[in-house]
Amino acid sequence: MPAAATINCLIVDDQQTIRSLVRSGLQELGFKNIHEAPDGEEGLRQMLTRQVGLVISDFNMPKLDGLGLLRAVRAHPPIQKTAFIMLTGRADKDLVQRAVQFGVNNYLVKPFTVAVLREKIEAVFGALQ
Amino acid sequence: MDPLAAIRETFFQECEEQLAELENGLLAMEAGDTDPETINAVFRAVHSIKGGAGAFSLEALVRFAHVFETALDEMRSGRLAPTNEVLKTLLRAADVLADHVRAAHDGSAVDEAHTAELAEELKALDPNGATAGEESEGEEDWGDFEFKPMSVDVPAAPAGPSGWRVSFKPRADLYAKANEAALLLRELGRLGQTTVELDASGLPALTELDPEAAYLAWTVTVTGDADETSIREVFEFVDGDCELEVSPLAAVAAEGEASATPVEDPGETLDIGALLARVQAVAEPPSPQQVPPAAPAPAAVATPADPSSPPDGQGQPRKPEAGATIRVDLERVDRLIDLVGELVINQAMLSQRVMEAGFARASGVAMGLDELEQLTREIQDSVMAIRAQPVKSVFQRMPRLVREVAAMTGKPVRLVTEGEGTEVDKTVIERLADPLTHMIRNAIDHGLESPEKRAAAGKPAEGVVRLTAAHRSGRIVIEVADDGGGINRERVKSIAIEKGLVAPDAALSDEEIDNLIFMPGFSTASEVSDISGRGVGMDVVRRSIQALGGRITISSRPGKGSTFTMSLPLTLAVLDGMVVSVQGQTLVAPITAIVETLLPKAGDVHSLGGSARVIAIRDTYVPLIDVGMALGYRAGPLDATQGVALLIEGEGGARAALLVDAIQGQRQVVIKSLEANYRQVPGVAAATILGDGRVALILDIDTIVAVSRGADSLRAEKRLAATG
Repeated sequence: MPAAATINCLIVDDQQTIRSLVRSGLQELGFKNIHEAPDGEEGLRQMLTRQVGLVISDFNMPKLDGLGLLRAVRAHPPIQKTAFIMLTGRADKDLVQRAVQFGVNNYLVKPFTVAVLREKIEAVFGALQ
Repeated sequence: MDPLAAIRETFFQECEEQLAELENGLLAMEAGDTDPETINAVFRAVHSIKGGAGAFSLEALVRFAHVFETALDEMRSGRLAPTNEVLKTLLRAADVLADHVRAAHDGSAVDEAHTAELAEELKALDPNGATAGEESEGEEDWGDFEFKPMSVDVPAAPAGPSGWRVSFKPRADLYAKANEAALLLRELGRLGQTTVELDASGLPALTELDPEAAYLAWTVTVTGDADETSIREVFEFVDGDCELEVSPLAAVAAEGEASATPVEDPGETLDIGALLARVQAVAEPPSPQQVPPAAPAPAAVATPADPSSPPDGQGQPRKPEAGATIRVDLERVDRLIDLVGELVINQAMLSQRVMEAGFARASGVAMGLDELEQLTREIQDSVMAIRAQPVKSVFQRMPRLVREVAAMTGKPVRLVTEGEGTEVDKTVIERLADPLTHMIRNAIDHGLESPEKRAAAGKPAEGVVRLTAAHRSGRIVIEVADDGGGINRERVKSIAIEKGLVAPDAALSDEEIDNLIFMPGFSTASEVSDISGRGVGMDVVRRSIQALGGRITISSRPGKGSTFTMSLPLTLAVLDGMVVSVQGQTLVAPITAIVETLLPKAGDVHSLGGSARVIAIRDTYVPLIDVGMALGYRAGPLDATQGVALLIEGEGGARAALLVDAIQGQRQVVIKSLEANYRQVPGVAAATILGDGRVALILDIDTIVAVSRGADSLRAEKRLAATG
């Protein structure tokens, strides 16, 4: 049961609006270390330079999409065990199924409430302090 | 502003970018671009707008975006071919989407019927006909996914006494470049509590010591909140000249069994190894443009975290991504510009005083001042550049206008834009939108011929309107050109005669006839079509360009088309002025208005009775206006041969000569609003402060000419204003 403040978060989305919304939700839940990246490649780059505990990534992005980022994370031992939550723009079952196949920890459908965000994170980490 | 409202603003700003991307993508596809990334980007733009709109419960926007997105998805998956017809519908849908975004932003109404019509057209594009129904059912009936059980590492972010272990071993180069290890260690000390351990084991005996070699290494423990980026930043300038290792102090959470075995998807081709190698190559050392840490951005300064990522090493031409930007209140920038204006004035005053004090040109003081002047100019230019924006923001509104006017007139038109990156002051850009809109409408409505006429003239049916911007000798030049029939001079002349603008027997050159279209009263409601405006003529366009300190000219070739050329100042804060003396007063005339200067000869000036005079300039007579009398500095007229005449061209192309006592010189002046500091004075546009500290008034040439024309004087108008 980790304290939210101890987890380094990385939000990967090409939309500033969504990054800000997720950031504001995470802050409400007590997260303090929140980083952002506008595409999968930049997200991966950041994961290699700083330790990230939780990735919340959009699916549809330029350069490297969310599924590609997930696969890269799971294929690279140093960051393999990072918690990964996929953001999807619409309730797309096929997409979530593929993400599950690649080892996603949970998914979040936009638009979301802070309560749902909390629920999904707790499903991964256990109850937040 | 509460955080959500700030995010909402971000959303609308982002929408503008996405709408532009959408339109540009569709236009590129119309021009034959078949790159799958283009259609992806187009899809993503609409998808993103929908996603954001959903977060703010903008129902109407979400609904239309959904239908649009569905059609684009069909195209993306290859089920819908991007024919010209389809793209035209999509472009019109993009216009409707833009309307919806704006409506959601400012609460205005949208054309429901038009929206419904476009939504139907979009649905009709869908070959399956069924998919564009309502939003998918939601996730309730998905059942639960089985997420693979896996142990998740939770690396300790600064928890408890956290910190970093920094191993630092300088190479000889570090010292050779005059860097000092002690300074770096001290800098590190500012980031938190440090414990420094010296490793001197590499130090040889004194006899073997090479004074230029490096032998020492340090291990520093930094405890506190500092993040890795700030620690690495300390070593930014010795990067490559030392061995540096930064590792977190708190032990990484115990490794659990790797129960998650990544699944390789045989169907997909993603070379993860290559990807990792590529990303890793640029990941070390960490990019200095990291997204700022958790602190919520204050409302006024939001950081659109778009860190320009380092080149991907594949030599692909990267799309020009916006670099790191910061949004600042315009007021703050304007305050800065004001202050720099003061600085320029102060510096000029100081220089003048130093000269007067008799310092030699080569003295240290004078040379220091020269450098100061250079610096001040550079500061001024840089500050002005903050207000400068690419004309793209107004150019990108034009494709839609062209589509609409083309549809209304039934003339196929292609808009070509060039030089969208050309920068000019924000205010100039804002005030360009109306004149440009009007000119482009005119170019299509009046400039281009009907497709039949074009065919008869052997031209392609599709007309071309060209909109270009460029910097030319310190000004921005914008051109609107069409490849139509050119100005019908016979018709223009007969209209002008009919309206009493020129005498029936006037002998006019082609250029003079072309310029008649700028005359007030040339365009009237009776011959204005729906499209070309609501009683607004080219005279209004000319006036708005002149109000910006610009000029507009036309050149036209029968059968080939017409080109309107606007030349505008890059900024409204400084002005190129001719400094003149009138009855002991110093005044400034805008150089843009001055055509030439001349010394009147006695025989050239003729009195028309009263104080009215004309001066012969080559073959024509123009009114000679005594500025001293017009502004009430003196009661009687100045002997013209004692002064200098400035031939000026005012509103509507009317010429006049301003008589002043003498010309002092030409210089750039900082404009100070008179209205803001005093009140409006007829005949005076603004004020400025000269190098010697005196205040000089900047002449409002148009008013002076207009009032003097009516055989009135400004004093008469002032009296009117005082009694009125």
